[in-house]
Amino acid sequence: MENAIYVKDLVREYDVAKSREKGGKSVLQALKGISFEVNKGEIFGLLGPNGAGKTTTIKILTTMLTSTSGEARVLGYDVNRHEKELRNHINFIFGGERGLYWRLSARDNLMYFSDLYRLDRKTRTKRVPELLEMVGLADRADEKVERYSKGMKQRLQIARGLINDPKVVFLDEPTLGLDPIGARELKGIIKELKSLDKTILLTTHYMLEADELCDRIAIIDKGEIKALDTPDKLKKLNANMSVIEVTTIGISGQAIEELKLVNGVQLVNVQDMDQQQQLQIHCESPSMVVQGVLGVLSQFKVIDMCIREATLEDAYVKLVEGKE
Amino acid sequence: MKLILSSCFLQMQLSFSRSMFRYCLLVDPIFFALITYMIYKDSSVENFIAYVILGTGLSSLFNNIVFSSAGDIDRERYMGTLEMIFTAPGGFRNIILGKIIGNTLLGLLSMLVVVVFLNIFFGVNMKIASPMFFVMAMLLSVVSFIAISLIMAAIFTLSRNSRGLMNCISYPVMILCGFYFPITILPEWSRVFSYILSPTWAVKLLREAVYGIKDYSSFYMESGILLALSAAYIVLFIILAGVMEKRVRVKATLGVY
Repeated sequence: MENAIYVKDLVREYDVAKSREKGGKSVLQALKGISFEVNKGEIFGLLGPNGAGKTTTIKILTTMLTSTSGEARVLGYDVNRHEKELRNHINFIFGGERGLYWRLSARDNLMYFSDLYRLDRKTRTKRVPELLEMVGLADRADEKVERYSKGMKQRLQIARGLINDPKVVFLDEPTLGLDPIGARELKGIIKELKSLDKTILLTTHYMLEADELCDRIAIIDKGEIKALDTPDKLKKLNANMSVIEVTTIGISGQAIEELKLVNGVQLVNVQDMDQQQQLQIHCESPSMVVQGVLGVLSQFKVIDMCIREATLEDAYVKLVEGKE
Repeated sequence: MKLILSSCFLQMQLSFSRSMFRYCLLVDPIFFALITYMIYKDSSVENFIAYVILGTGLSSLFNNIVFSSAGDIDRERYMGTLEMIFTAPGGFRNIILGKIIGNTLLGLLSMLVVVVFLNIFFGVNMKIASPMFFVMAMLLSVVSFIAISLIMAAIFTLSRNSRGLMNCISYPVMILCGFYFPITILPEWSRVFSYILSPTWAVKLLREAVYGIKDYSSFYMESGILLALSAAYIVLFIILAGVMEKRVRVKATLGVY
């Protein structure tokens, strides 16, 4: 399969000014030599915590930043040297409410951006209403953007990002700050983009979003790619691992220590929820472990108990936080 | 050309929608004109009104163009649109030029406001001895102001401290270029700076056109100097823009997040 994006040993360093007392500058390495490829027509996810290097990667690939070293190509164009040729074929959408002219209407925003991308009058006249329709803003297209909800602004961003009919679309945390309905609508639009044969590079720190949307995911942390595979294969990083989730009241520290000693238990996580505690007991064979667990918990009130398979989130936590 | 016009029109729409801009454009020049009128009222300067109208009008025009160039770059940076227009295939330089032309056209309104205000409230009329040459000098002045603004915009794009820079240059330019008084009363050493700043020549040409041109060859020569300086500024902008387009991608100053 042909590559839409090719990244090899990409490094990006920033000069960071130190405090007044210390003076001088230090170098922050935001990307430490990452490599990955994105196939044409694929939705590729960069999943990682804040400060992992996701946005820096997108900004380099969209020609807003240059890399310090390494190679990055989009549609065969070197992003550092052939940025002018590349810009016609790509577009990007950042999460949040920025990136739009709030004092203009949605239609005026799209009209202006169509001029920035040098669309001819005929194409513009056809495409702007089509995009407004696609993102569900046709009936409010002439209202000022400042009156829009977050979700509407984000949908307008999608329309803006498609104004030049790009072959590759970069989405940086597109559902950031959206309510569940807004996020669901947006995810629907992203799926529609895939059906239009767009290549999509998406960053997020929402596990479910990455799982639902992406064909492949790279988990990135502190400027390094920790794992890269399909969501299903990433989940299997915790292969054979199950989680017994128990909700209790008033469990003691001593009981938790006893749980850790139950034969077959690999990890016990405790989350306090008001007066209740949720225990996540990681093990390979829950049927062998559950008797011992119930024995320890016999003195406490157990409200709920279930056994589930390890999720992408469990794999993510294991990779990013190094938890076993 | 289409992108320049489109950016010009968008800039006028965006600027005029801001109440602070409307204040700076339409109200502030009135206060300035009033203060300057009162200062000059009893002076012995012949045709002092040329100083009041030209001084106030040109400083308002200059401030509108330069302040807007810096302020708009900063606003775009915080709105997250600077990255979008920087990477637009239409070309960042064309967009900036369109925006500055938009601000300039609006800035000319300030001059009109000053003329109308002084006429209505003080019955003052500005008599222009050489109207054709005045129009020519005004055109050259506008071109030179646009050229300066292009340089400012390139510097402001590169630096996140654009508002600070913007405030630093406003008054020195007004003083050095003789907006309110002849530069001959300034210390001799400072005039070197005056002569390399194109507004000095713009003010000189406009005043000569108002008073009546006595020496045409000198007027043409000064027009030539103004044109040459504007051309030099444009060349400097092209060089700076090239540097800026590379540096912002290294220094990451297009966005704030």
